[in-house]
Amino acid sequence: MPGVAFAYGSVGGYAQFVDHAGNAIGNARSAEGFSFDPNPNLSAVHIVAGHAPVGPHQVLMDLGTAHKHHFATGQQVRVLLPGKPETFTISGLVKFGSADNLAGISLAAFSLPVAQQLFNSREYYDTINVLAKHGVDNVALQRAIARVLPPGVQVVSGQEIASEYSNAISSALSFITTALLIFAFIALFVGAFTIFNTFSITVGQRTRELALLRVVGASRRQVFRSVLAEAAVTGLVASLIGIGLGVLAALGLKALLGAFGITLPSSPLVFEARTPIVALVVGVGVTVVAAIAPARRAVKIPPVAALVAQLEDQRDSLRRRIGLGSGVGIVGLICLLVGLTEPSIGLVGLGTLALFVATAMLMPIVARPAAGVLGRPLAALRGMPGRLGRENSMRSPRRTAQTASALMVGMALVSTIAVLGSSLGRSATSEVNRAVAADYLVTSGSVSREVAPTIAKLPGVETVSTVYEGQFDFKGSLSSLHAISPVHLSRTLTLQLTAGTAAPALAAEELLIDSETASSNALHVGSVVPVDFAQTGPTQMRIGGIYMQNPLVGSFVISDKLFVSHFDNPLPVADLVRTTTGATGVDRELNRALAPYANLTIQSRSQFEQKSQSQVNQLLGLIYVLLALAIVIALIGIVNTLMLSVFERTREIGLLRAVGMKRRQVKSMIRSEAVIIALLGAVVGIVIGTGLGVALSWSLRNNGVTVISVPLGSLILFLVLAALLGLAAANWPARRAANLDVLAAIATE
Amino acid sequence: MNTQTPAAHTVALTKAYGAGETAVRALDGIDVAFERGRFTAVMGPSGSGKSTLMHCMAGLDAPSAGQTYIGERELGQLDDSELTELRRDQIGFVFQAFNLVPTLSAGENITLPLNLAGRSVDREWFDYLVGALRIADRLSHRPSELSGGQQQRTACARALMSRPELLFADEPTGNLDSNASAEVLEFLRRSVDEHRQSIVMVTHDPRAAAHADRVVFLADGRVVGELASPTADSVLEQMRKLGS
Repeated sequence: MPGVAFAYGSVGGYAQFVDHAGNAIGNARSAEGFSFDPNPNLSAVHIVAGHAPVGPHQVLMDLGTAHKHHFATGQQVRVLLPGKPETFTISGLVKFGSADNLAGISLAAFSLPVAQQLFNSREYYDTINVLAKHGVDNVALQRAIARVLPPGVQVVSGQEIASEYSNAISSALSFITTALLIFAFIALFVGAFTIFNTFSITVGQRTRELALLRVVGASRRQVFRSVLAEAAVTGLVASLIGIGLGVLAALGLKALLGAFGITLPSSPLVFEARTPIVALVVGVGVTVVAAIAPARRAVKIPPVAALVAQLEDQRDSLRRRIGLGSGVGIVGLICLLVGLTEPSIGLVGLGTLALFVATAMLMPIVARPAAGVLGRPLAALRGMPGRLGRENSMRSPRRTAQTASALMVGMALVSTIAVLGSSLGRSATSEVNRAVAADYLVTSGSVSREVAPTIAKLPGVETVSTVYEGQFDFKGSLSSLHAISPVHLSRTLTLQLTAGTAAPALAAEELLIDSETASSNALHVGSVVPVDFAQTGPTQMRIGGIYMQNPLVGSFVISDKLFVSHFDNPLPVADLVRTTTGATGVDRELNRALAPYANLTIQSRSQFEQKSQSQVNQLLGLIYVLLALAIVIALIGIVNTLMLSVFERTREIGLLRAVGMKRRQVKSMIRSEAVIIALLGAVVGIVIGTGLGVALSWSLRNNGVTVISVPLGSLILFLVLAALLGLAAANWPARRAANLDVLAAIATE
Repeated sequence: MNTQTPAAHTVALTKAYGAGETAVRALDGIDVAFERGRFTAVMGPSGSGKSTLMHCMAGLDAPSAGQTYIGERELGQLDDSELTELRRDQIGFVFQAFNLVPTLSAGENITLPLNLAGRSVDREWFDYLVGALRIADRLSHRPSELSGGQQQRTACARALMSRPELLFADEPTGNLDSNASAEVLEFLRRSVDEHRQSIVMVTHDPRAAAHADRVVFLADGRVVGELASPTADSVLEQMRKLGS
């Protein structure tokens, strides 16, 4: 065609390297095979060592994989493919752009004819790369090419591809961004409690000083501003330090990813101007807002407070506190309930927030008796120091409650996740029995097509069913679609039908959907729905059956034959194996026969159950790590409060030392107080968190959470952990108190 | 117990603040002994070193040179833990103010040192003290609910509860009116007369000093005079002499 400088067709597919030890490298989703394009202007990869692959037994490997797994040009490497695994000679090494590989994805490049054969596309190309001649109008060329191509083939410019990739990456990252922002918000919320508490205490300690300011002529407004200004400066300094640490953390993360073999192609860190501005505004804003209530209390200090020896503690009326706290609590509960039934994540979040604020408001009322009860065993155990620690935790209920509140939020969230996770885990386990009838599951991101016939020939195997997974457009939204053979369906997969049929409907090329999807879309057997497949275009499907949720196959199931007709060379994701009754040693046979396929996971049904439990646990672990941040902030709050209390009680500690309290006993006293504060926060947090977790699990009862389970063991562990963390938090204040200069503390002159 | 050794004494006790030429000697080579079963008052103008002397003798402050003894024990040989035990078991304290732990009741404050030591309370002695000090009906109250006089009397009970070798009183009547002062001083006198308690009281009030058996006068970190069987007038007379 006129205007075309160079055109090269390419094909791609699944190709996963096997390392020297015989293990598959990475996973199926991060293993990319394709035909090598010799034109450096079109190819995203370029050779940095060796030469392009020639003939049927040569392959190019990405530099990242080669370095990490010690491969060099000229060496042999085994490659897992859609068909049987094969051995190749490494003809050269390639880089992707400037990076050693593409964000951790391993690259295997073959010559075009080899790739076509391996990926079963001899007659056609996946893609044809076209390089325009210099000075040719890209858009015009694009239209000209489109005119000569059959319908269903897209012609896109390089720029479009680039922006499409960028969008895909952004949308994949947006989930992570959202999750991280939620945790950042939690951290800020807990931090706000600590700031509020600190300012409350310092305003109390500076009563005389603030009153003196009033005496010499400062107006209420000026006192108010002075407290807020202090908060703003504190917030500014803290935010700047935080931004600095954030940049360091990003650098550290990048290095960490690098160490795990994932090199990001975008070499410099992106530091947008927006980032520090938002961080500063949020940091200073949160600090100032948290200081408003203490500042208002400072304003209420009368000038006479500078002159009288001891001023009665100014307290908000109890009734007002109860009223306001209960009000906020009720609003929070309503938001929560409506949010859960709606369901609306926003309302649930808002309700939870209100509930936390209400609890924090009401906690000072119960703090004194609660601290008394929690401290009783300590007083008995640690003697006089424990007794004094208990008394100290009770003497200022508001301070104790506010300090405990920050920990309460963290512990509540951790407990919520624990209850939710336990319920999810238990539900998953109890559902597996109903999901799978097969005795063994052979799974991977990509299972070679050769695997099913291999298994079928083994002794003791009754039947093998192949499961495919892909995406299709269901009523306008991209959804996950599974496929399985209707033959022997009941022997491999357990579908509990609520309407219609399973195997006959699949055989008739109809669609099966789960009951949740059916009810939320008002669909029933016989409904005809529009669907769209990426390769074959839009079509209509009749719904042939509705089944109870099944964790293995998700929400949509069609027959394997239909799936293969809509997808281009799909690879199975699982083979379900049913053994003949009484057959033994099948697992050994499976392991032996499938040994060449290094990427496969062979599980018995019970192992599969454990796996789904452990997947839930892995996710929980990640959430716990992020929530630990909130707990750490709460602990810093405890350290802070105790430091201020030690400072405030200098004379008292001096007196105790003078009349014979040992350093060890002083430390024990401070530690006891810290443990009581921590336990108070933990107990209230765990109670609220358990409630929240049960409510959340209950609201998910139609989404597969069939069992509500409260993990008592974990909750008790949290309580013990909180006490230990309180002990750790007390370390610094305790040492400070123990090393107090007795003389300076008691000197009156 | 050896009745020959005094309850406490110092040998060339020196306490200097700062170093080199700017050093200030709060105590300048003091040799003083406080006899057993006697009530000694230490007097002197502000900055004479009388509080520093008491702090060094009670193991609250470390001397720069010289030694201090409680009984036969030299305090310089003791580490922090041993000093704390010494204060807890062998020394009683009554300060000018802030004598009581606000979170404990009066009764608990009295037994605090015994509780810290994990020792049992001598009920008879306890009842005697709170009876003599007229605080038996205030024992369950917190310090904030007691008058200044009651607080100081509670402190006296606390100081004597462990039957210490020596009681140090630092301006014990400094914050009290004359009636409350008299009550505290008379009790201290009585404990010397009836129980052979050794007492060292730092004061600048001649009327308080008049309750003692002996007055030691300090000025500029040195012992500058002594007076046996003092009266308020003789103390004033001596002070006037020293002042001129």
